[in-house]
Amino acid sequence: MAPDSTHKAALFAALFAAAAALRLLLFQAFPLLPHRLAGRVELSTPVSSFKRLQEGLYLYTHNVDPYHGGVYHQAPLLLPLFSFLPDASSSPFATNLLFTVVDLLSAHALAQIADSGHAAATRLFKSSRQGLRWSSAAIVAGFLFNPFTLATCMARSTTTLTNLFILTAMAKACQGASTTFLLALSAASYLAMHPILLFPPLLVLLYDARADRSKTTPNALAFTAVHTLGLTVISGTLLLASALLTDSWDFLGATYGVRLLLPDLTPNVGLWWYFFTEMFDSFRDFFLGVFWLHVASYTPGLTIRLRTQPLFVATTLTGIFAIFTPYPSVADAALYLSLVPLFRHLFPLMRYTFLASAAVLYASFLGPAFYHLWVYAGSGNANFFYAITLVWSLGLSIIVGDSLFAALRDELDVQRPELRDKEVKRI
Amino acid sequence: MSTGGNEERKNPPPETKHSLWLRRAVIASFWAVVAFLGLPVWWKTTAIYRADLPLQDMTAWANGQVCKPIFPIHIAVQAPLLPHDAHHLIHATQQTLNDLSDFPAHQLRLVFAEPPQPANASQQVVADGSGTAELDDTVALAVRLIPVETGATPRSQLQPFLATLDIYYSPSQIPSESSTNSPLATYIAQELHQLYAQERVRLSGLYSNAASQSESLSPELAVQLQRDSARAFKYAPTYHLTFSLFTPTSTPSAWDIEAALRQYMNPILESFSGISNFTIDTQVQLYANFSPSIRQPEYDNDAKAWTIFKEDVGGFINAAEWPLSPSIGRGPTINFALYVPDEAQSPLFVQGSRDNSWLVPQWGGLMILNPQSYQATLTKEALVPAMQVFSTQLSSLLGLPQTPASLPLRISTLIRIHATSLLFSASSTLGALAQVYQKMPTIPVPDPVAKSVDLSLAHLHRACELLRDGRFQDALENARTADGEAEKAFFERSMVGQVYFPDEHKVAVYLPLLGPVAVPLVMAALKEIKSGIAAVKGR
Repeated sequence: MAPDSTHKAALFAALFAAAAALRLLLFQAFPLLPHRLAGRVELSTPVSSFKRLQEGLYLYTHNVDPYHGGVYHQAPLLLPLFSFLPDASSSPFATNLLFTVVDLLSAHALAQIADSGHAAATRLFKSSRQGLRWSSAAIVAGFLFNPFTLATCMARSTTTLTNLFILTAMAKACQGASTTFLLALSAASYLAMHPILLFPPLLVLLYDARADRSKTTPNALAFTAVHTLGLTVISGTLLLASALLTDSWDFLGATYGVRLLLPDLTPNVGLWWYFFTEMFDSFRDFFLGVFWLHVASYTPGLTIRLRTQPLFVATTLTGIFAIFTPYPSVADAALYLSLVPLFRHLFPLMRYTFLASAAVLYASFLGPAFYHLWVYAGSGNANFFYAITLVWSLGLSIIVGDSLFAALRDELDVQRPELRDKEVKRI
Repeated sequence: MSTGGNEERKNPPPETKHSLWLRRAVIASFWAVVAFLGLPVWWKTTAIYRADLPLQDMTAWANGQVCKPIFPIHIAVQAPLLPHDAHHLIHATQQTLNDLSDFPAHQLRLVFAEPPQPANASQQVVADGSGTAELDDTVALAVRLIPVETGATPRSQLQPFLATLDIYYSPSQIPSESSTNSPLATYIAQELHQLYAQERVRLSGLYSNAASQSESLSPELAVQLQRDSARAFKYAPTYHLTFSLFTPTSTPSAWDIEAALRQYMNPILESFSGISNFTIDTQVQLYANFSPSIRQPEYDNDAKAWTIFKEDVGGFINAAEWPLSPSIGRGPTINFALYVPDEAQSPLFVQGSRDNSWLVPQWGGLMILNPQSYQATLTKEALVPAMQVFSTQLSSLLGLPQTPASLPLRISTLIRIHATSLLFSASSTLGALAQVYQKMPTIPVPDPVAKSVDLSLAHLHRACELLRDGRFQDALENARTADGEAEKAFFERSMVGQVYFPDEHKVAVYLPLLGPVAVPLVMAALKEIKSGIAAVKGR
């Protein structure tokens, strides 16, 4: 085992070093690139843009309420963190290094998830194809050298931090480490709010991991109560610290209020902005409610249906977030697309891989072009870009739906092995 | 499940109990989100918010049930008499006045004021009115009784720039203790009654409009009132005055308008300052031609002057080319245009008269100025006739009554008229709002509307009380605020949005998105219920 593990460690070291070198090289070789990328609507949304973070930071360091300008909508605790770093516009190296390190830590968490093997075999469910899997190094490489991840890192979008905490929460849940799991999930929810919806499936995952480890099943109710309380306490502490930092509770409206009520209709790759530019004012609140409930309603349904595969539920939810949240960006899709390779055993069962990958590629290339036609060239209109975001969402939805189908089919194969590899019809 | 027993057909094997319950739990979880979160959200966000309005108060104001404005006009009588005699005289005069009164809301109330200093008649006549200044500010008019030995008595003189009426009498006309009727008292009463005749008519006109009562008015007076009110601008808290100089050539190219305005216009604007604010701008337009539709001036040999035809006066302003914009800034614009004709066509008059100025109702005034000499700059002195004409025109454009002769009296009359009409207009706006509120249950009424209504009602009450106390200036200010707030409430933008949104449109709003979502949810629930019933029956 020992030579194997040293071999693996060396492989990871090489991977991480290459990824870090690539990022730092790109930062150094193209000093204008981060700035250009930060201005792309596909990468920077009003709630994750690095430019807006700098604006908030400027106000914060000049003792002005960072939310006064109506530009900054990100969490208050990011401000003291970034105010420790040297100014990003004059000496960007420290900031660039930070974002590189964040990506590497995310990759590390992803490797832990892959190593835990929870994707294919959990306490209550063993896939019939569990032998079919990619090595964690391959999955990590798929994350680190994914162009979407790379672009997000270069744009220095704060979604990378959210992604880090989501991946860490998943990794810790796989390992059965309650405290770090709660800390990571609280941090992710604190930064982006919607990751709180990952709590039910990840709690199930944590429960399974704990039961696996201790060979006894803890009391489910007490387990849920304790962890819910823990999450509440940690999130409450984070919010309280933010309130103390900004001397008021106004930040709630400027951060979570903006995500809930969508006052900023800057285009992004999601579906909300176009819909709400066309909305009758009197129905705006109602449809905001409908859209948010739509996002939220998947969590209980999927958690109940696929209770035996909680990691798959959490992954699917990140895909749903990448499609249906108000301010999604390519970064959210990057997280989902990095998690999907964990379920290599489902790939043979997926039917629309070509269609999905074609749609995603089509949207990735035509999206910037159509945005340019609309905003800069003036020869297109908003419908051009919106049509492309529809294709993008369609591609992601196909992956989500297809993988869900594959997971169910996989489950059927376990229940009724005689049907394996036969055509099935849903009834 | 309908899988019982039929072995011949290749039915799928029955679902396990576990997967059956799993599916039910999933469907139930979606329905739970819809029922426990979706429905409250729908209820909360599509409910039309209607702030509570004091409908009864508003309707009562509109019907004139709350406030019947009365106009107690306090008149101070200064007489060099013993208090006893003076009181007797005032009492007698008051009684006569009450007998004369034909409009009970308009009450002239005499009060005795100590004369500033005992002095003889000749000094009193030239007194500068410092006596009246010391009086209570509710006093609208001072009557000075001045004993004289000569001339016809009693006779009266109204100070043109003071709210003071001088009455000359001979000491013998002081009524004695015993007499109930005295010529002097009757004379004073009639003078006062006459003084306020026009105001009474106009106020009662407002009253009858508001309460839709018919009252007998002499036809010629009614015509004059109608003409006056047709001329005047609708009341506004701020007016914008534009003074323009038009000339068909290049001379004069400048005018000393600032000094002229300062000297001749500011005094009248100051006296109006209690009623409205004014902003002023001026402009010069060279090479300003007539519009092609009017005939060019012709030389009239008899009058030795150029004339324009009377029919063309209406088209004199070349609206297409002369830059007289309808409104600059807040409030309506009152235009004053001075036309200096070409030197070759000077003097220019309107055909058939030597009158070369006219007033355009609710627009402004015009004057053709034929200067003595053509220079590059029109001096202040050359502008004097224009300024006189413009200030007269301004007075009638602002609705200042023609009589009585004293300017302060006319202005205070105007204050009372505006206060009353604003009071009535605010009340009727509130009444209309109350009607809209009751008749259209689907329009939203936001909180600012309720706030404006409350504010308006409060100011209306205050205005009504102040009118009763004779503090007309303050009453006008309150009525103005009340009217402004009432208009703001009535024209609130967010109220009109949903007026034309019929219920059928809601189907178009809800169905495209919610329909596709609802169909699988409903079908799944129906299927589960059906199979549940079948299972219960089969057992």
